[in-house]
Amino acid sequence: MAKRIAVVVSQGQSQNPAKRGLEEDIVAALIMEPGIDVTVIPHLYDLKPDGTGVLALDGIKGNLIVLSWLYERGARWILDRNNICGRVGQTLIKADESDEEEDEEEIVAGDDGKQRVIGKREIPNRRIYCIDLRVHDAAQPYIDEIKRIAAENTQKLVQLGDWLQGVAKPEQLERFANPTNTTALGGNGNGKSRHEEADDAPVKQTDVIRIAETGDRRWYPVIDYSRCTNCMECIDFCLFGVYGVDKVETILVEQPDNCRKGCPACSRVCPENAIMFPQHKTPAIAGAAVGLVGLKIDLSKLFGAPDEGKSAEEIAALERDEQLVLAGRDAVGMAVGMRKRQEGQPDQPRDELDDLIDGLDELDL
Amino acid sequence: MKEPDSLTFMMGEFAAIFPTDRQYAKNHMWAMTQSEGVYRFGFTAYAVRLLQDVYFLEWSVDAGVTLAERQEMGAIESKKAESALYSPIAGRLPRFNNELLSDPSTINVDKYGEGWLFEIEGSSDELLSAADYVKHLESVWEVTQRTIKGQLN
Repeated sequence: MAKRIAVVVSQGQSQNPAKRGLEEDIVAALIMEPGIDVTVIPHLYDLKPDGTGVLALDGIKGNLIVLSWLYERGARWILDRNNICGRVGQTLIKADESDEEEDEEEIVAGDDGKQRVIGKREIPNRRIYCIDLRVHDAAQPYIDEIKRIAAENTQKLVQLGDWLQGVAKPEQLERFANPTNTTALGGNGNGKSRHEEADDAPVKQTDVIRIAETGDRRWYPVIDYSRCTNCMECIDFCLFGVYGVDKVETILVEQPDNCRKGCPACSRVCPENAIMFPQHKTPAIAGAAVGLVGLKIDLSKLFGAPDEGKSAEEIAALERDEQLVLAGRDAVGMAVGMRKRQEGQPDQPRDELDDLIDGLDELDL
Repeated sequence: MKEPDSLTFMMGEFAAIFPTDRQYAKNHMWAMTQSEGVYRFGFTAYAVRLLQDVYFLEWSVDAGVTLAERQEMGAIESKKAESALYSPIAGRLPRFNNELLSDPSTINVDKYGEGWLFEIEGSSDELLSAADYVKHLESVWEVTQRTIKGQLN
């Protein structure tokens, strides 16, 4: 039996006809493809945690391709927080056209021996491919890429020897090929096993499953656990009770709907840039696949811009104060829930400053 | 004792060189006297190191304009960075280096010579000697790094 692959098209928030058209073109093309099951759900980020969208996603056990109007990282970790987990599937559709080599260097540079939360997890043995629908205007590149991934994934689901420890004895093979229990027989009554029959039957085209949800647009942080070191800065910083810890003391977004709409402050204080707000206008905060080498740096402050620049922490404190005041509470400035960065550093031979100085050289051609 | 031809400032592992035959502005431009009260400006090694390959340069003011110090006058885009550009001193700007507009990479090739940006008739009061500029760099190096790091957030 050929392995089928599930494709989920997560519709954009807007009713933009171009976007809807793109989604429908992709769906229409995929219906014609054998071995592909298509589900259409609302915008990933807005899915209700206990809603039918998440339920449908949860029902998919095998390899999964998710097309959405989000950066790959954003989509991946939104799925993760809804317990849709798997290994990273590599897609060729990338938003950033910059040198692949440089990006990899930066990712490797981050491998500095820090313990990441993802290291402690068991990851299900299936692949999740997240594809950003904003990369191309036309459906064809997406259809081609999905077909490529599907071909990559096609393999016989069941081998006769798989279920046995070691090699099957002839009588075991015989029993398997010609089972005597009625539930295993194929419906045609030919004495063929169900698996043999499935090979014979033409592959049916499935209908598209469409899921709708009523609900508002949501706003909450999404943690990238491949970067998160569980340092707890975010839980110290957020004064709205968004963060909590699970039974094994790992940080998680416990009360997402406590999050103040539009506020990205906590993402600025995370030392590992592990917090995303997938709907934020700044690509770095929304989870864009850019590191130090990908994004253009704004040097205006250095080249004489009149305004005094603010550090990330200062901006975060300002944004937090803004939200506190809006909520009828008192502003706290930098006094609360912000750790001094250099604390405890003297013991270590290298600190972030050294890394950054060397990081500037990684900027080099 | 003869004054050295140039001074060096270490940007991490990169040695940025600053010729002593000219003055400098805090916004990382050099200033070379053309004639009485007229200065030619260009980017220092510090600025060019942060920019790397310059892709695009544009001015938002015309030649002949009178500028205030730190007035926004244009924009630059490079491989690694982008920035608005601001006037190093107050004064009248008689001339841009027009060759640069079609090939801004000259800034990378010859930053202290052919890669000059524009000329301004103004006062040199705000300009620094090479030695003072290097001292200034020592104090802003920290901010530079924080700016770059802060951009990630």
